[in-house]
Amino acid sequence: MFLLRFLKICLPLLLLSACAAALPPLTYNPALALETLSAAVSISITTAETGMSASGFLVYRRPDQLHLVVLSPFGTTLMEVFARGELITLLYPGKSVAYVGTIDELPTSGGLRGWRMMRWIMDAAPSPDNRLNTTLVRLASDGSQETVSYEQGLITTKKNGVGDQVYYSGYTAINGIPLAAEIDLRSSTNDQIRLLLAEPEVNTALEEAAFLPLLDGLKVLPLSEIKGL
Amino acid sequence: MRLRNLVTETESASATETSKTFRQNILFHETRHACTSVALLLCGSNILFSFLCLSFLWLLPAFAEARPIAALDGLEALRAGFAGISDFSAEITQEKKLALMRRTMTMSGTVRFKKPDQFFMALNPPYSSRMVLKDTQLQQLAGQGGVPNRIILPPDQGLGRWFAKLATPVTRLPEGIDIQADLTHNIYTLVIRPLSSGQVKGQIKEVMITFLKDGTIRRLAILEQNGDKATMTFKNLRRNIGLTDTDFQLVPIE
Repeated sequence: MFLLRFLKICLPLLLLSACAAALPPLTYNPALALETLSAAVSISITTAETGMSASGFLVYRRPDQLHLVVLSPFGTTLMEVFARGELITLLYPGKSVAYVGTIDELPTSGGLRGWRMMRWIMDAAPSPDNRLNTTLVRLASDGSQETVSYEQGLITTKKNGVGDQVYYSGYTAINGIPLAAEIDLRSSTNDQIRLLLAEPEVNTALEEAAFLPLLDGLKVLPLSEIKGL
Repeated sequence: MRLRNLVTETESASATETSKTFRQNILFHETRHACTSVALLLCGSNILFSFLCLSFLWLLPAFAEARPIAALDGLEALRAGFAGISDFSAEITQEKKLALMRRTMTMSGTVRFKKPDQFFMALNPPYSSRMVLKDTQLQQLAGQGGVPNRIILPPDQGLGRWFAKLATPVTRLPEGIDIQADLTHNIYTLVIRPLSSGQVKGQIKEVMITFLKDGTIRRLAILEQNGDKATMTFKNLRRNIGLTDTDFQLVPIE
């Protein structure tokens, strides 16, 4: 009964939302590709065991360099993630510890598993046809199979062979390049990582130093010793 | 005592120069009705300790003359000042300078506190987030449509326990910390530097808190070892306004 009442009330609203979603195609330039990205980010990680929400800042350089700073509610740095190719460094200033290793060494479950898929998540180039609405199966950049859904040329969901799924929404075009302001990863183990991007800058020059972790004064441990988020 | 874990051997001469310059500047521009600031220290991931600093630093009583201030007296004044507060709310501006990325993030929002153990913090778009703390129960929410996260802190980190500790006067300085204080005209400045031991450095390099003579905190700056700097400024601070439990609920972000 409750469900019926809920639907009675909410269905018209949902339909209205659906109408609102039928926006004109986003105008973008298919010849341009996202090479670098810098943006403020709200990050929310929910796993079966724990969860965290925080603000931070992200810089990314295609195809596989990333630096994410996660801030405490009071502005100090809680955690930093550096990724470069297969190498990943997780830095916890409050504990004076850095964990260094390869992405394969990350836990296979929990909030850190999402970083294993970062390259897959960031690989979301739009279709050259901004009216494309379809779902197709294709090979991902790492050779695995993925199912990709397009709406108006933009990727809205991707799903890999093991059931991980990522949702892209809130697209805007920046300098002709489409960018999803919300990225929502639902892993096959029901972990969720949600990124909300704000004030993004696309294809601006990023200094090399932005991707190099400073390990002075930190205790450096192998990634295999990490626990928790 | 938490700062014992944040030791460092490096005392930043440049940071000290910066703090002197800052003090000189605001001496000429400060007014008695300037916006209040609140101090925080984030020692490791200990949010509660940070909150305690925030909660009572702005209550520092004014000092009468320009003179160095004994650190112990300052700490005891903080404790005594906090005894007169039952709740407060304020608007905040938070700035984070990211050294490696050469970026600055500026956030704004509100905070609320209520004795004995409740804290609320809300940040405005585009960094929308909410945080509610009731003793050891921490709830967070990030972004529109986000799912609340709940974390239970260890009992020894409960907010109520911290305030219970504050009931006793401060009779000795915490070990492992260098504290310098001065008072010039109406400007009170407190510089806190964790001392070092060994190769592993703590996160915090220096904390500088600048107050007006009437006890209003003007500015807090936390310099981190990696070169990042976090500042927090409070304004429209209201105390003892009768906040209720409904002011400390994790409401959805609209």
